[in-house]
Amino acid sequence: MTTQLTSKRYVVEDLSHAIEFCYQQGWTDGLPVVPPTEQAVRAMLDAAGLEPDKEVCFITNRQVAVSAEKIAVNAVMAGCLPEHMPVVVAAVEALADPKWGYHGPAASTGGAAVLMIVNGPIAGRLGFNSGDNLFGPGWRSNATTGRAVRLVMRNVIGTMPGALDRGTVGHPGKYSYVIAENEAESPWTPLHVQRGFKAEQSAVTVLAAEGPHQFYNQLSSTAKGVLTSLCDDMKHHGSTNGQPQYVVVLAGEHMRTIANDGWSKADIQKFVYENTQNPVAHIKRVERLAGTVTPQDETTMRPLVASSEDVLVVAAGGRAGAFSCYIPGWAGGKKSSQSVTKLIQDRRI
Amino acid sequence: MAGFEILDPTVEPRKQPLTYVPRPDSLKGKRIGLIENTKFNSDNLLVRIGEILKNEYGVAECKMWRKHNSSVPAHEEIIEEARRGVDCIVAGIGD
Repeated sequence: MTTQLTSKRYVVEDLSHAIEFCYQQGWTDGLPVVPPTEQAVRAMLDAAGLEPDKEVCFITNRQVAVSAEKIAVNAVMAGCLPEHMPVVVAAVEALADPKWGYHGPAASTGGAAVLMIVNGPIAGRLGFNSGDNLFGPGWRSNATTGRAVRLVMRNVIGTMPGALDRGTVGHPGKYSYVIAENEAESPWTPLHVQRGFKAEQSAVTVLAAEGPHQFYNQLSSTAKGVLTSLCDDMKHHGSTNGQPQYVVVLAGEHMRTIANDGWSKADIQKFVYENTQNPVAHIKRVERLAGTVTPQDETTMRPLVASSEDVLVVAAGGRAGAFSCYIPGWAGGKKSSQSVTKLIQDRRI
Repeated sequence: MAGFEILDPTVEPRKQPLTYVPRPDSLKGKRIGLIENTKFNSDNLLVRIGEILKNEYGVAECKMWRKHNSSVPAHEEIIEEARRGVDCIVAGIGD
């Protein structure tokens, strides 16, 4: 790769000064970054088969072209390995998709983060965690790819906290919010296959999302019992306010219990859709919907989402423990933002 | 000196000229478009603004449109109708 890198260059005394320099320039998410040298940036680009001047996407709302070079610089800073670059590129492409609708979820007081769900062979190859401590620290792939996307949002697209990122409370997923589906142990069709990709392809699904809401059920040995507990929590959670989609993450014990009853992902989606509906009267009484309660409101049911397909089911989390979780999308309805799945491409071929 | 060279991760947004339509000298007899952003009470706020524009500034008529959602720009139908039917627009976040 011979194309010149065009990023402005700074020379500092040594590595430790470089780390502090990045802080001083306002380039970090609050944690130290890996100083982006030309050698590291070129390795990142080479691994993805991208020329530095390749325009990966254009963010219309911000009038910003996102080049491969800038993604690579930020991926280095986030601590990515070169082989992570295609995952980061695919996720950034997803953010630029009109369906994701960059402005709303990136800027909103609603404080959504970018949930990334990695599917396909690349998840295992790069060691993305899909098991214990699913959302916790300890896995480089999960920690750095999401961080790279957030740094691109900050440094390239201008999504600066307090300026064009106005999340009121936000959540820790804004550092990194990446999981993989546990395809090896899942009894179900992987998410990316449900969304039109082949099992042997790798893809990342991106959803503007609140934090994970954990729920517990150690009593039931049936699919219906476990999912009834889920739905009871889910239909009353804090932001039942036009979330376009939800992700339901089912971990080992719950996954096996539900699968043992022969339930497919479609069965789970249908059950969750039907059992998370609230009477309009209830939503009005708890001051989440304007207007006085009418007799009709008592029997008019309001679903959380438009259809059962808007409940994305993912098998992931530790084998032990009667815990799973659901993740609400960012409130704004499907015309504002919805999940997008992009192919993770190896452009070197 | 030997030094340690690093690359800048930021970009400058693409610069584009912003052209403002000339402001009217007076609102008297003008047709006003009100863009409602779907947030709770934004319609009530704009209705009130419309009343003030009529009663105190001599506006001839007001027409309100509702966006798909507060976080997206006014959709094309609104823009087209507004282009044909009004002289000025009031838009903003009702929140």
